[in-house]
Amino acid sequence: MTKHFHSELETVKKKILSLSAIVEERVDMAVKTILDMDGKLAAQIRDTDFEIDQKEVEIEEDCLKIIALHQPVAVDLRFLIAVIKINNDLERIGDQAVNIAERVAVIDRQNRCNFAFDYTEMAETAQTMLTLSLDALIHLDATRAYDVLAMDDDVDCFQDEAYDAFKIAMQENCDCLGFLLNFFLISRHLERLADHATNIAEEVIHLIDGEIIRHQPHPSNKKK
Amino acid sequence: MKTKTKDKRFATSNPAARGEPALWTMGGTLVLGIFMIVAFLILVVWNGIIAFYPQKIQKVVLMDGRIMAGEPHRHESYKPQPDHLAALPADVRQQIRENKGFARRTLYKTGNFDLYNEDYKWVDDFDVKQVTEPDGLFYIERIEWGPFIGFIQSADFGGVTLLPGEADFLDKLHREHAQAVERRNEIARLERKEIGDINYRLEEGRLALKQIEMASGQQSVRYQAGLKKFEAETGALKETYRQLETRADALKTEDQRFNLVLTDIEGRPKPIRMSEIVRIYAANRLSLAGKLGVYFSRWGEFITAEPREANTEGGVMPAIFGTLLMTLLMVIAVAPFGVMAALYLREYARQGHLVSIVRICVNNLAGVPSIVYGVFGLGFFAYTLGGSIDALFFAEKLPSPTFGTGGLLWASLTLALLTVPVVIVATEEALAAVPKSMREGSLACGASKWQTIKNIVLPKALPGIMTGLILAMARGAGEVAPLMLVGVVKLAPELPLDGHFPFLHLERSFMHLGFHIFDVGFQSRNAEAGKPMVFVTTLLLIFMVATMNALAIYIRNRLNRKFASSHF
Amino acid sequence: MSGAVDISHETIQTVYHHQQGPEGSIINIDNFNLWYGDKQALFNNRLDIQKGLVTALIGPSGCGKSTLLRSLNRMNDLIEGLRTAGGISLDNQDIFDRNVDVISLRKRMGMVFQKPNPFPMSIADNVTYPLKVDGVRDRTVLSETVERTLKGAALWDEVKDRLKESALGLSGGQQQRLCIARAIAAEPDVLLMDEPCSALDPMATIKIEDLIAELRGKYTIVIVTHNMQQAARVSDNTAFMYLGSIVEYGLTETIFTKPRSQKTQDYVTGRFG
Repeated sequence: MTKHFHSELETVKKKILSLSAIVEERVDMAVKTILDMDGKLAAQIRDTDFEIDQKEVEIEEDCLKIIALHQPVAVDLRFLIAVIKINNDLERIGDQAVNIAERVAVIDRQNRCNFAFDYTEMAETAQTMLTLSLDALIHLDATRAYDVLAMDDDVDCFQDEAYDAFKIAMQENCDCLGFLLNFFLISRHLERLADHATNIAEEVIHLIDGEIIRHQPHPSNKKK
Repeated sequence: MKTKTKDKRFATSNPAARGEPALWTMGGTLVLGIFMIVAFLILVVWNGIIAFYPQKIQKVVLMDGRIMAGEPHRHESYKPQPDHLAALPADVRQQIRENKGFARRTLYKTGNFDLYNEDYKWVDDFDVKQVTEPDGLFYIERIEWGPFIGFIQSADFGGVTLLPGEADFLDKLHREHAQAVERRNEIARLERKEIGDINYRLEEGRLALKQIEMASGQQSVRYQAGLKKFEAETGALKETYRQLETRADALKTEDQRFNLVLTDIEGRPKPIRMSEIVRIYAANRLSLAGKLGVYFSRWGEFITAEPREANTEGGVMPAIFGTLLMTLLMVIAVAPFGVMAALYLREYARQGHLVSIVRICVNNLAGVPSIVYGVFGLGFFAYTLGGSIDALFFAEKLPSPTFGTGGLLWASLTLALLTVPVVIVATEEALAAVPKSMREGSLACGASKWQTIKNIVLPKALPGIMTGLILAMARGAGEVAPLMLVGVVKLAPELPLDGHFPFLHLERSFMHLGFHIFDVGFQSRNAEAGKPMVFVTTLLLIFMVATMNALAIYIRNRLNRKFASSHF
Repeated sequence: MSGAVDISHETIQTVYHHQQGPEGSIINIDNFNLWYGDKQALFNNRLDIQKGLVTALIGPSGCGKSTLLRSLNRMNDLIEGLRTAGGISLDNQDIFDRNVDVISLRKRMGMVFQKPNPFPMSIADNVTYPLKVDGVRDRTVLSETVERTLKGAALWDEVKDRLKESALGLSGGQQQRLCIARAIAAEPDVLLMDEPCSALDPMATIKIEDLIAELRGKYTIVIVTHNMQQAARVSDNTAFMYLGSIVEYGLTETIFTKPRSQKTQDYVTGRFG
């Protein structure tokens, strides 16, 4: 029984890691569209989102099957619960990448104005958070996971910066409100993306320590 | 290239694997065993069943003019001795030579031992001139001297003379005979029982007096008082004795008025009292009903009457009684003894070297020849133990031993000792077969070890214990050798159970069916007369043992069923 | 990962995180060691069984869980060549004390075995056996016991019409429930169960587990099982034993979600045993 069980666990592990690689790539592409405003790339992101959805369903079904048939306990159970949740978060991250792509497509059709906001740092931070959290999953490294939690504060700071900047810009440039609004909303998507990466990190910590630390105040988790 | 493929569907295993030769051997040996047992049983049953059937009496006229009469019992071919051959006429010798040297002869039971000094006679076939079956021949079984074969010349019934030719002679004969039998029984009763009682009480009084004498001496006051009492009692008893004797004498005198005058086949006369006759019938005139009547009355006599004529005639009732009683006592002795010993060995003793040695010894006991048990029983039980008991309690009877010689008690104990290994082994097996889980369950309920044994283990082991007892009983009932040394006699004067306190007399000798067979078959003066008795007694013994076993098995099955839903 | 792991018994540090019962502990096992002849089977066992709770003993074959259980009511006394050191106390009374009557001790602990072992008597007689060996003869008491225990063992409705019939005619599950009824007849303090469901089919097992849930609270139950899911389902505290030592003793849900010892984790996830 256990041989079969462990090989199934390995399969799930492989699948979630492959899904995380795909999602990372999508986020890469989404960040690129922000920085380059590349419409074609944006279309590509939208068109290939179904792959992520399919994989997500597949992984969730696999996990349910293992739980029903093998009644896992302790670390195996925590692993599967983590996989289900991370699975969900990865799919949401994929959705956020699509949202960014669509936002870029809308921006493309709007009247531009002179205002420019550099999303590079925010985007790269969010990207790094995702990469780190997935690293933490692969290596079961709690330190990296905690780093991700710390970085969420930075993203929140960037979000505040953007809010202030765009508020002023909208007050000054009333004729490109559409452009400014959509440009601003990109920060929302990035912030949501970072939140999901944070969730992934928290789930990895639970998997490792057995402690559920969500909703708990921890030194570097400053909720707004 | 052609490959030889075996079609698996039609494959057969080889005979060696199926074990056919072994199967035939096993079946064969079983059949052989059953056949031997069945053949033995048929032999015994057939010979036993026909033994009592009344035969016709033949009158044989021999070549040299002699006449004899008798029941024909056996035909056989035999080789005549050379000097016997020489005495025969030439044509007979020729016949014999043609027959490869064999001649045929018949064994006749002629009876009349008091006249001829022998009661069986061989008659060669070629000696016979004429054989007839006269109507008037009677077969008369007598109290003494065995059967009489001959004619009735005349009958004298209390002064009235009758002749055989008269009408309803046979009816009158049988009626008078019945009355004579009653008289005989009454006389026997008076003498055996009532006078015997008086003798018993006289003896008791004498012994009591002797006890007092031994305790306090002839000069003591107690002795004088006792002596007076004794003399008074004796007087009264002796008076009763005289009265009974008178009555008995009167009966005897009356009895002498009823006689027959018999003649044998050659005409020699022989007077006989009616009361001396046990059974009388006209052998050649009996209908089938009559023959069956004689047959069953002989069986009845066999089972209920006492033996006569050195155990070659009469019944075996004392032997039946003795066998049953002894087997019963043996089972009563061996059951608690064996079961408790096995219980201790299996449940309580610490299992180690000592216990293993004890077990080996017990098993080896089963292999000791039974005659050795007899010697032990005689030496230890009878002489040592019995002697001590005599010295302590029956000193007044000495030097005549009470318990210091073989008797019912010692015989039962000896056989109990003989069969105790069987019981111990069977009980141990039965106890070991009780599953450990049952014992643990009982202990976990808070029962002590003894309660567990009493309530759970013993009842569950009871069927196995019963099997052991059945085996022991069967073995013990059949053993004869040790009994010959410790208490069985050829002819016991009285039964071990009677009306005098303490009712069961354990010191008395008794008769036993197994020993009876040996005695009748091989120790009687008349081997031929004994033969039918041997078969009949063997048949009876087999039947008795089978019945005892069947009864025990029935009890065991009842216990089995009852135990499944029993209360404790 | 699996197989022969050399364990040095002195280095086993038992991890304790069990829940305390509302009435405290009823059995205290203190530094208990046991030898079969020369071979040591239990090493420095320390365990507090909580009153009113269900405690499960789990572990691979040969780890000593049955041996420990049977030491609690001194059933191991039946084995020749057995030696013990250390103490076990029931209600603060050392059970190995010279003055303790083993038979009365066993009356305070009912025991149910792996294979149902009803006596070859009627159902009613089976249940009243513990009272009868105690000398109870009063018919009212006995019949009241029959009803009480059979109801308590969830068997009454099935057998109330055939109390006089042989217990051997019941099915395996019913026989085991009968044994449980017999075990609670003398109103013991503790119920010891040695793999009570291993010889039963799943439906009967469910019934027994429901029964254990019902008996909880009124009786303290110690159950040995090699079925981990069963231990997870029925017990409050679980002790994991390995090669004669207690490795971890804690809250059942903790043992099965985040055990604190790697050995325990390896066992419950099926990496060995």
